[in-house]
Amino acid sequence: MKDTVWKICCALVIIVAVVTLSPLVLSEGKHRPELMGMPYILWVGIAISLLLWVITYVGILFHPGKND
Amino acid sequence: MLSKLLIATCIYLAIIISLALYSRKGERTSKNYLMAGSSLGSLLGMFTFAATLFSTFTLMGMPDFFRVHGVGAWIFLAFSDALMVFGVIWFGYYLRKSVKESKHEYLGMAGFMEKRYQSKWVGYLLFVGVFIFLVPYVAIQIRGISIFLNQAFPDALPLWVWAVSLVVVMLVYSELGGLKAIIYSDILQGILLLTVVWIIGVFCLNSLGGMEAMFDQVEAKNDKLLSVPGPKGLFTLQFFIGSAMGIILLPFSQPHISTRLMIMKDNKSLYRMALGLGFFAILVILPTAFIGMYGAVNYADLSPAEFLGKTLIDDQSEIIAVLVTIGLIAAAISTSDSLLFALGGEVRSLLKGEDKEMLNITRVAIVVFGIVCLVFALLSNDQLVLLARTSFAGTSILAPLIFTGILDKNPALHKWLAIPTLIGLLLFVCSSLGVLPKAYVGIRAEIIIPIVLGMVALMSVFVGRRQV
Repeated sequence: MKDTVWKICCALVIIVAVVTLSPLVLSEGKHRPELMGMPYILWVGIAISLLLWVITYVGILFHPGKND
Repeated sequence: MLSKLLIATCIYLAIIISLALYSRKGERTSKNYLMAGSSLGSLLGMFTFAATLFSTFTLMGMPDFFRVHGVGAWIFLAFSDALMVFGVIWFGYYLRKSVKESKHEYLGMAGFMEKRYQSKWVGYLLFVGVFIFLVPYVAIQIRGISIFLNQAFPDALPLWVWAVSLVVVMLVYSELGGLKAIIYSDILQGILLLTVVWIIGVFCLNSLGGMEAMFDQVEAKNDKLLSVPGPKGLFTLQFFIGSAMGIILLPFSQPHISTRLMIMKDNKSLYRMALGLGFFAILVILPTAFIGMYGAVNYADLSPAEFLGKTLIDDQSEIIAVLVTIGLIAAAISTSDSLLFALGGEVRSLLKGEDKEMLNITRVAIVVFGIVCLVFALLSNDQLVLLARTSFAGTSILAPLIFTGILDKNPALHKWLAIPTLIGLLLFVCSSLGVLPKAYVGIRAEIIIPIVLGMVALMSVFVGRRQV
């Protein structure tokens, strides 16, 4: 179970990285929709950083070498 | 203002020298002096990692990067740092496991790889690789803060005196107390850095009337700052991939960061440290975006040094300006001393002989590295972020060799990988100097070289396993 969750976290990080570097996020000249006045690339970038932090947190809980 | 700065500097110096003297307790062995006894808890670990990672380049380079190239700078650093933090957990575990199982004492990556590959040439290559890319990195820290101080106090001291003073301070306290002194002072420097960047960030945000008003004004000035690739077209996909690769590999390719993985008490402390670091990164980078946007609205046409002088000193009250100056000095010192010390650690890891004698040679080597960095600082240019990025990218070329040494059960079979790595380093240096093209088959050198080296390493491992 622990190992599976850890592997899912690794896969999720790779997927998030690929999506971030895709035109879905890196869209040339696009700064809308805005969130609290922030341009698209900034608020999406912050959201991605927070998402990666959450995945890291879950990954730590289930890391196979946690108690080594 | 200058007298207040002198008083604050004296207090700051007194604190870090006291910490250095306090750290002198205990037997002076290589393990104590260079690895701080290898028993660090997660909080201390987070502060020393953060203070080492977030340098002058973050506090001075990033606001300027946001000002000139726009909000895409967030992806360049914060996204890459978040990936790096996950990498610390993923591969940091294997590095620690590999050291534990090999039963070799870890004093530096070059020495550890020399033992893993059973080849002194691998050790020498790694040392030369980190040396040629880390010296410019230390130099830009020293130069960045010296230019800033020179700009802020034009009648006080010439640039070279600021630079020499900084190097002398960092050499004195790191020579006195070793890595423990650096770690203790990193706590102070980390807190100072975070406080300062938020004070200025909030000031900039409020000055422009809050978040929405700030971005409205930036849009009116230059709407290209609000999207990629930015006004100068820098933020391309290849730029982000190259930067992310360099930054993700930092904990393994740059010795001052690898050391911080190895000095943690246990894996649990390492993971907690990494988690704290991830949050610290977001906290530090966000206000630099506000400072950059403030600069884009008010000081779009000024040079980097003029913009920083105006924003961080002239527009602030005297007390804040003094705090900022001390914070910037602290940021420059905390990264540079760790780097110089790590270069010393790499030398020690390659030396064989009686520990006390080898440690003395290492301490002399640290002073020599300090002098080399000082000379380079006085001769280098002012593009802080781009020079830092070249350093990240350059050391990432060593990563396939290091990962093979960590992950493979019998790295001695692959010692020949030192040859393609050397060729890769030479190609990258020539590309950076403009002697060779900056891209091959349309792909930038800093991306294609580590990828090709990684594929070669994978093939070598695959063939090696079949032979066994």
